[in-house]
Amino acid sequence: MKRFLKSINIRELLRPIGQMILFSLGSTIVLSVIVLLLALILDRTVVGQTLIERLNVSLFTYTLVNLPQVAIDGLTIGFVYAAIALGYTMVYGVLEFINFAHSEIFAVGAFVGVEILIALEKFGILSNASLVMAYIYLILAIVAGMLAAGALAVTVERVAYRPLRHASRLVPLISAIGVSFLLQDVIRLTESLTSGQFNRIMPTFGNFDHRILFGKMAMGATQITLGVSIKSIIVIVSAVLMLVGLNYLVNATRIGKAIRAVAQDHSTASLMGIDVNRIISLTFLVGGMLGGAAGVLYALKFTRIDPFVGFFPGLKAFTAAVLGGIGNMTGALLGGIVLGMLETYAGSFMGVFTMGAAGTEYKDIFAFSILILVLIFRPQGLMGENVAQKA
Amino acid sequence: MALLETVDVVKRFGGLTAVNKVNFKLDQGRIVSIIGPNGAGKTTFFNCLTGIYHPDEGQIIFNGRPLHRLRPDQIASHGLSRTFQNIRLFGNMSVIENILVGMHVHLRQSPLSTLFHLPSFKKEEKEAELKAEELMTYVGLKGVGNELAKNLPYGGQRRLEIARALAADPLMLLLDEPAAGMNPQETEEVTRLFRRIRDQKGITILLIEHDMRVVMNISELICVMDYGEKIAEGTPDEIRADTRVIEAYLGRGAVAGQHEKKVA
Amino acid sequence: MIPVFLKNTTKRLEQGLCPYILILVHMVLGTALVYISPRSNLAFLVLITSFFSLYSFKADRRFKLAAGMVLTLLIFPVVGVRNIFYLEVIFQISVFSALALGLNIVVGFAGLLDLGYVAFYAVGAYLWAFFGSQQFYILHFAPGTQPSHLPFLLPGDAFYLFVFVAILVAALTGILLGTPVLRLRGDYLAIVTLGFGEVIRVLANNLDKPLNFTNGPQGITPIQQPTMPQVAVDGFNALFGRVVGHTVSPADMYNVMFYLFALAVIIIIIFVTRRLDDSKIGRAWTAIREDETAAIAMGVPLVRMKLAAFAVGASFAGVMGVLLAGSRTFISPESFSFMQSIGVLSMVILGGSGSIPGVILGAATVTILNLQVLQGLSLYLSQLRQTDAVIPIINFAWANLSSQLDPAKYQRLLFGLILILMMIFRPAGLIPSQRRKREPASDEAEAKEYHGTP
Ligand SMILES: Nc1ncnc2c1ncn2[C@@H]1O[C@H](COP(=O)(O)OP(=O)(O)OP(=O)(O)O)[C@@H](O)[C@H]1O
Ligand SMILES: [Mg+2]
Repeated sequence: MKRFLKSINIRELLRPIGQMILFSLGSTIVLSVIVLLLALILDRTVVGQTLIERLNVSLFTYTLVNLPQVAIDGLTIGFVYAAIALGYTMVYGVLEFINFAHSEIFAVGAFVGVEILIALEKFGILSNASLVMAYIYLILAIVAGMLAAGALAVTVERVAYRPLRHASRLVPLISAIGVSFLLQDVIRLTESLTSGQFNRIMPTFGNFDHRILFGKMAMGATQITLGVSIKSIIVIVSAVLMLVGLNYLVNATRIGKAIRAVAQDHSTASLMGIDVNRIISLTFLVGGMLGGAAGVLYALKFTRIDPFVGFFPGLKAFTAAVLGGIGNMTGALLGGIVLGMLETYAGSFMGVFTMGAAGTEYKDIFAFSILILVLIFRPQGLMGENVAQKA
Repeated sequence: MALLETVDVVKRFGGLTAVNKVNFKLDQGRIVSIIGPNGAGKTTFFNCLTGIYHPDEGQIIFNGRPLHRLRPDQIASHGLSRTFQNIRLFGNMSVIENILVGMHVHLRQSPLSTLFHLPSFKKEEKEAELKAEELMTYVGLKGVGNELAKNLPYGGQRRLEIARALAADPLMLLLDEPAAGMNPQETEEVTRLFRRIRDQKGITILLIEHDMRVVMNISELICVMDYGEKIAEGTPDEIRADTRVIEAYLGRGAVAGQHEKKVA
Repeated sequence: MIPVFLKNTTKRLEQGLCPYILILVHMVLGTALVYISPRSNLAFLVLITSFFSLYSFKADRRFKLAAGMVLTLLIFPVVGVRNIFYLEVIFQISVFSALALGLNIVVGFAGLLDLGYVAFYAVGAYLWAFFGSQQFYILHFAPGTQPSHLPFLLPGDAFYLFVFVAILVAALTGILLGTPVLRLRGDYLAIVTLGFGEVIRVLANNLDKPLNFTNGPQGITPIQQPTMPQVAVDGFNALFGRVVGHTVSPADMYNVMFYLFALAVIIIIIFVTRRLDDSKIGRAWTAIREDETAAIAMGVPLVRMKLAAFAVGASFAGVMGVLLAGSRTFISPESFSFMQSIGVLSMVILGGSGSIPGVILGAATVTILNLQVLQGLSLYLSQLRQTDAVIPIINFAWANLSSQLDPAKYQRLLFGLILILMMIFRPAGLIPSQRRKREPASDEAEAKEYHGTP
């Protein structure tokens, strides 16, 4: 036991936590300052006056009051993005290939988790569950989602990508797009045949929907309560745990070393006695499991899922991976958090700041604008190294 | 005045300095070789010259023009053509089309004349095809115009790369290990081809080569690189006698013969 | 044994008058079958596939051209007017062929994976939808709140002008979107184009405020149809009235006209792509597809050539967009989803990217699978649901089958399968593209000698 404890590399356990805190705090502070400054400026314009007429608060106060909630929401979705982005980044690291179907791996994870919980609810198990049991069931659902998604990711690689490994770059990408489409409809088909409908709702149980309240705040005629919902905390904590685990796996174990070696150079790695195919499968397994867990967490947070639920989170997570520097795991974490924050801030405040001309409805293309800007001005991402293409 | 001049060219990859402060001058109409052990930075130097990499420091002046920050296609249109160490033909295009791509910068075809096959278009295409066939004959590829490039034998592919580079009517030709993997007879033939290119077309040739028979046979000047630096320069006789050069090669256990085996 | 036998048979079929007779028999058989049973999908398939024998048998070019013209200009319109569903299928095949041929320029020739191709289709469609409807006068109303009788901004004649305006606008959009991103590596470019496609769709969905440009998710309707001379209707009636069996209304004639219109676009695209393919632009595209680094080192300006491919592909999509808006008189963001882009892509991939006959075959196959097979299945299932039939072994009553299960909606499955299977088993497509063989410009005889017998 002692030897086991000794063999654990504490630094590798703590490092990602430090990074996460840094990234979260950093992006919260930067974005909050920007938003508040904007609010101060806009307060003097017609935007501020309209708001005072409507709600009797200044834009600045409005922004300030909403900030904590927005930051927490941003962080929650940011960690979900980070968990998905790691799947993209790991696969890209070893194969230089965009696993377009990763978004459906995520969706399958979500469906498996939710279906298990729905089944439990049907048998009346969930409603009678004690708080401890509720958490156990949730963990069960997450683990099931992870296993299903991991297995699926490995299968997809084996069937649809491995035969194409030596083809030109776009060939496996097209195959991946095909897998993505196929899986969407397979989910839909399975759900239609078994449950009769393909929009599924996460059952309510446990205390996940409760909110820990900070206080109340009057805003015009309405009262605004400030608080964090427990599920946000669950999402963040689970994501943090997984990310720490993954970081440990990759940076402090033999398997991780093998993964990194394969990412460097396939042929050299195989000369060193590493079974490249096994490591690639393993990469898909780990990425898929993370994606599956993210799927269940996503369902917990947003409640409603459908077969196409993976599309936007997938694209955004890919954006996050590119933003952080694709192939770079810390980058994916940073990218996910930053993107989740940016998107939530923009989605929450753009509406008021533009007097309703453009608001949440542009949230989804907001990520694309970031993707395009990053690719144009800093294709290697925030943390990627600048490596010239080989000639 | 020199046709090509580089001043303190530096190219780094992360921590590795692949080309380190290389100063180099090349006069019009010469045949010059760059030699050096594997990983010496020769190909990287070519890539800097042709704009595929931008040097981190230093200047490259070609035909009186600085090439700083120009794109590879712009550099090519200024008269600098090249071949690649690991043959890069357009495999699924026919031999003649490969050569026609090399002529891209000289073809004037406007969209309108292309769409309606105006006389100007037809005339230009005809001339281009004729010229391509001439070039095929010139490099020894007569009659295989409709063959797909990827179906040519190895030696034929090397020749096609040279023909494609010549198609741009360059002032200067950069050849990256053009004789690699060839048998002695083929090597002999391409060596003669290089000389013909220089003598008949007046094209300056800079080549990277590991095969010392080729190098010593045709070079008027040899430049030796090691660890990214230019360590020596001189006539074949001078280079043969240069202790640093011998060290660079023998010190690393890398002699010309071994290279050949590796590449083949 | 069997392959030898097959080879001998096919050889015999290619001799003398044989191919001509086979083609004619196929055409006549198809026409007759459709004439006898105007509702049969099978008969229609026989007719459509006569195109395939026309393509695959060796025959004189002029004969093929004439037969093709009879088929497309005479038989299809008449058959289509007799059964309007056939016309719809033929029209959709033509529209998707045109779109797929346009995308083929980008994907097949230049090797750029464009996942947002329908964005340009949308640009064309919204262009005519805005100017050829009342939308201009609705600008200041929220969707659904405008007064009932507003004039149309432009008359139907303007449609013909807008076909050309759309070429310009779509090409410009292509250049605008392409300029910043075309230097990206292929796989990134794919995702970015996907993003552009989504951006255009989201804009179409949301540009109903602050000013109501697109009428949001409800879409724009009614849209002007192009003016059609009465002569066309009368003429058609006079010529084919007896064969058709009923008087052809202007509405039917519109359908025929849009079909012919799409056909014209297809022919123009084929013409343009063939001409470009045989010029320095086409060679540059292929070179870029084969090896970007080598191409740029040979003096091919990468970004400019890619932009050209993007712009040409976009402009054809733009034209088809105008056509769509004019023919449907209704458009909404729905029609321009990511799935549509992938649908068109799967046509290109199925047929063979870079191959014109392949892409048309791909478009026809996917459209027929979509319209006839999937929808046919849906119909069949809903009929089964009405009965009290039971699946034997598992004892499942069809009537209990979820109404959510509607095969017509499973296009993603179709597209996905096509993409995966083609990539794994036949990446070059059903009819792979072939480089043109050139007649040696100088001395023909000598080259032949080299090859042995040509
Ligand atoms: N794109 C790149 N990224 C990182 N390192 C590179 C890149 N290209 C070359 N190098 C490194 O730069 C050094 C010089 O390589 P270069 O290809 O120029 O050598 P060379 O002299 O042409 O060798 P050879 O005789 O084997 O062709 C090598 O150590 C190589 O690994
Ligand atoms: Mg080299």
